[in-house]
Amino acid sequence: MTCAEFQKVLPYIIDGGGSEEERQHLENCPVCSDLVADLRYIAECAKLLVPMENPSPRVWNNIERSLEREGLARPARRNS
Amino acid sequence: MTTAKKVLATGITEQEAIARAQQGDAECFEALYGLHKRRVYSLCLRMTGNTAEAEDLTQEAFLQLYRKIATFRGESAFSTWLHRLSVNVVLMHLRKKGLPEVSLEETLEPQQEDGPRKDVGTRDNVLAGSIDRVNLERAVESLPPGYRIIFVLHDVEGYEHNEIAEMMGCSIGNSKSQLHKARMKLRDLLKQSKAEKAAGRH
Repeated sequence: MTCAEFQKVLPYIIDGGGSEEERQHLENCPVCSDLVADLRYIAECAKLLVPMENPSPRVWNNIERSLEREGLARPARRNS
Repeated sequence: MTTAKKVLATGITEQEAIARAQQGDAECFEALYGLHKRRVYSLCLRMTGNTAEAEDLTQEAFLQLYRKIATFRGESAFSTWLHRLSVNVVLMHLRKKGLPEVSLEETLEPQQEDGPRKDVGTRDNVLAGSIDRVNLERAVESLPPGYRIIFVLHDVEGYEHNEIAEMMGCSIGNSKSQLHKARMKLRDLLKQSKAEKAAGRH
């Protein structure tokens, strides 16, 4: 199997393994194994992107106003 | 995760807050907003890459939540249900904007005829250990929208390809192919940032 053939099927096997032939190529080809290591590392690092930011308070203010306007919720008591 | 047992500032559990919000209790709805706003907003921000849009979409997601909360039956975790609702709000918005990248059409086209990349480097050029939150965040932001959405949904938010395919109205193969392109693009961007960092040190 060539690198070209391996990399053509890579999108479909990277997260779920592949055929024996594909696994053999990956084991023996430093270029493709570097590529796969990088892509897996990127996927792993994506978990770093946990939610960090809160929305501005104006988001809730707008929600509250919309709900009142649509008659879905009673006006907030704290403002009365 | 024990979301159902989370105790809110109001002294009630999330489960109780959901039940009361389903009866129209606005204060309990506000408590649910407090509990989930960060995750919903972060999702909107990552998918759009734009603060103003993310705020509008967070607002729209919670308005929809208020309208639909009575239909929540507890088959899935509330956070999962709300999250899916929020993803749909963002996708609907992006479709309305007519972003061509969202259609995933490009993945139907054959790969550029340059074949696989043979320039992928030598062993000392791998990314291992070089990614941190800041450079990854920056790289994700600079992805084209179509790539960014798939990457965020799959690798950040943990959706499966079949779920993404359903949400995006594309095939599972398309979702896999688009994710691969997104990761390849990120790899380029992160290698570039690694090289720049290394050059800056000398």
